[in-house]
Amino acid sequence: MRCQNLVCGLVLLLALGTSTVVQATKPEDTAATRAQGQVLFERTCLFCHGATGQGDGPAGWFLGRYASPRPRNFTAGSFKFRSTPSGDLPTDQDLFRTITKGIPGYMPSFASLSEAARWQIVAYVKSFYPGFRTETPVPLPLVGAPTPQLAESLDRGRALYTSFECHTCHGTEGRGDGPVTQAGELKDASGLQIQAADLTRPSSFKNGASLPDLVRTLLTGLDGTPMPSYAARLSDRETDAWDLAQYLRALSAESVP
Amino acid sequence: MLYRTSTLLVATSILVVIALSSLVMPNQAQAIPAFARKYDVQCTACHTAPPVLNTFGQRFLENGYQLPGTEDGGTTGKKKLGDVTLDDVGKYLAFRLVGNAVRSWSFTQQNPAGTDTGVAQNKTELTFPENFTLFAGGTVMKNVGFMVELGHDVEGGGAEVERGFVSFNNLGAQDLAHVRIGKFDPSAFYSVVTIRQQLNEVKESLSSGCNTAYTPCSFNRVGLAPSAFATKFYGLYDRGGTPLSPFASSLYNSGGEIGLDVHGRPFGKAWLYQVGVVNGANEPFGDSNKGKDLYAMLRYDYAQSDYFSATLSGFVYHGNSNAKVQTQEDVNWHRYGVSGRATYQMLDLYAAYAVDRINHVPSGVSGAFDATATGLTIGADAYVTNETLLSLRYDNLDAGGILEQRKSATFIGLQAKQYLRTNVAIFVRNDVNVRKSEGGEAAARNLRNAFFAGIDIIF
Repeated sequence: MRCQNLVCGLVLLLALGTSTVVQATKPEDTAATRAQGQVLFERTCLFCHGATGQGDGPAGWFLGRYASPRPRNFTAGSFKFRSTPSGDLPTDQDLFRTITKGIPGYMPSFASLSEAARWQIVAYVKSFYPGFRTETPVPLPLVGAPTPQLAESLDRGRALYTSFECHTCHGTEGRGDGPVTQAGELKDASGLQIQAADLTRPSSFKNGASLPDLVRTLLTGLDGTPMPSYAARLSDRETDAWDLAQYLRALSAESVP
Repeated sequence: MLYRTSTLLVATSILVVIALSSLVMPNQAQAIPAFARKYDVQCTACHTAPPVLNTFGQRFLENGYQLPGTEDGGTTGKKKLGDVTLDDVGKYLAFRLVGNAVRSWSFTQQNPAGTDTGVAQNKTELTFPENFTLFAGGTVMKNVGFMVELGHDVEGGGAEVERGFVSFNNLGAQDLAHVRIGKFDPSAFYSVVTIRQQLNEVKESLSSGCNTAYTPCSFNRVGLAPSAFATKFYGLYDRGGTPLSPFASSLYNSGGEIGLDVHGRPFGKAWLYQVGVVNGANEPFGDSNKGKDLYAMLRYDYAQSDYFSATLSGFVYHGNSNAKVQTQEDVNWHRYGVSGRATYQMLDLYAAYAVDRINHVPSGVSGAFDATATGLTIGADAYVTNETLLSLRYDNLDAGGILEQRKSATFIGLQAKQYLRTNVAIFVRNDVNVRKSEGGEAAARNLRNAFFAGIDIIF
């Protein structure tokens, strides 16, 4: 059984490696790296995130206007897209992944920058929040392995979707039209109205739509939004997170990598 | 009173129909234009409100349709076919359909002297669709971009290439020099851009006597366009003898001139330079101009934080035999302009002022021709809710040219635009003639009020 888990773990690691971003050669986080990162940041990121990283760049207001989202405030130490527990800082790889993949609908992918350039930006972004100097973020371990999209798995996923009350925000059919959303009661940490994700359109998922991406989002939640972490509730059975992720995938006919 | 009531009823009915038909459109119909599709972002990543660009969009444009600070033209959104990389067609093409469903003109007098019988009168027209633009744009490869815009103006008739150019970017070093070659809008990098206005240009209506070359030309109705960008002179002709409208955007502020343009930021991120050479006023392919027109622009940008940005620009445009007067003699028509723009959260303020000057007025019209004209445009756009954009514009044209014909004009326009979807908006607009009380039969005085209701779709 342990051996099986080990194999599953290796398969999972391989899947995560291919589905997220290839680990790049990361330069030392030195003053020179941050200085190079600052030059790049001011050419590419400043317009939304602002010169001081507070998410108040000259173009930042227009993204959501009177609603969420606004560009990330790097000085607040709260990050949506992480592999770490809710409330923790993201790993360097998390920041690198967001820069590389972008955020569908809101932030373009900067994969065209060299890997070294993206790491330099990561180093500079971290310099906005002192906590990065003292904390060492640790990713949440992903238990179990992807379950095949069989009827039993989907049934278990559907049951979890109901018992976790996902439908109150995302709607019974996952269209992002649950009663709480429709009542306009969903707000982000800054009090701006926010829409629940339309689960039938995985291409719009801000934190990725692959199975490992979905499991990661379920476990970590999206800090600063009403989407909580389900890590505690999904730790009972190794397959639960994967069953729920399979069900979320099944809500859409879109093909997802 | 009855006339006004019926106009409002018609306008309201049409807007309601448009709004309802848009609301029942299936979700799948919602879409965003080419660059937004390519980069998988919403329009507001680059626009304050389309077509006006925010600072990120301005830098994207400057960089030849590549993300600021990158040279992603060779990779982003591309598919590799052998040794060629191509965008998906859907990431090249977009269209904009914008038009007034209703136009209602109110005149002080019925058919004053000089106008064609039955043209200048109080009337309401159904005119949708009024203007259709198809554009293809993107990058061919790293640091090589292109844009082609094919426009069809229902009122003017026919279709033409409004803009079509290739850009070579980041020559020498990043942001050192970007070159555009072809038919482009010279003011693309100015603080207030000719072709990016919330209140669309409404063309003038010329009398039938204007069809003969070098003949005095009168107007049935004035045009409504930013005065700072306008020709400003009465009695100017292009080199083919066609009269130039005093209200039409021209020279540096033309929507499309053929030539070569260089811009960049070698002096730091705050300063943008631009120099260029173009054929001249309304010159078609096969330039008949004796010389070329030259221009230079310098812009200062402040864009740091607090959701605030500001720019100041100044330009000099030197014309070289770029127009003719009624005696068919050449003139050198120059323009000098300054403009500024500031955005803070939902508010976008802008102003532009230009002085047009004709050096050495030909002896044939000397004494009867004012060689100096000025135009002032001040405006503001503001999102009052997430879906509602209000726009206000003041235009003052102190016209020059033939003393007998010239008439200055001052208009205030107010527009309310309601976004039903990201890419679908309906609008109502009203333009008031500030000088209507000055009286007179000229078109600049006779038009009292203009009301528009229409739709703007970008796909």
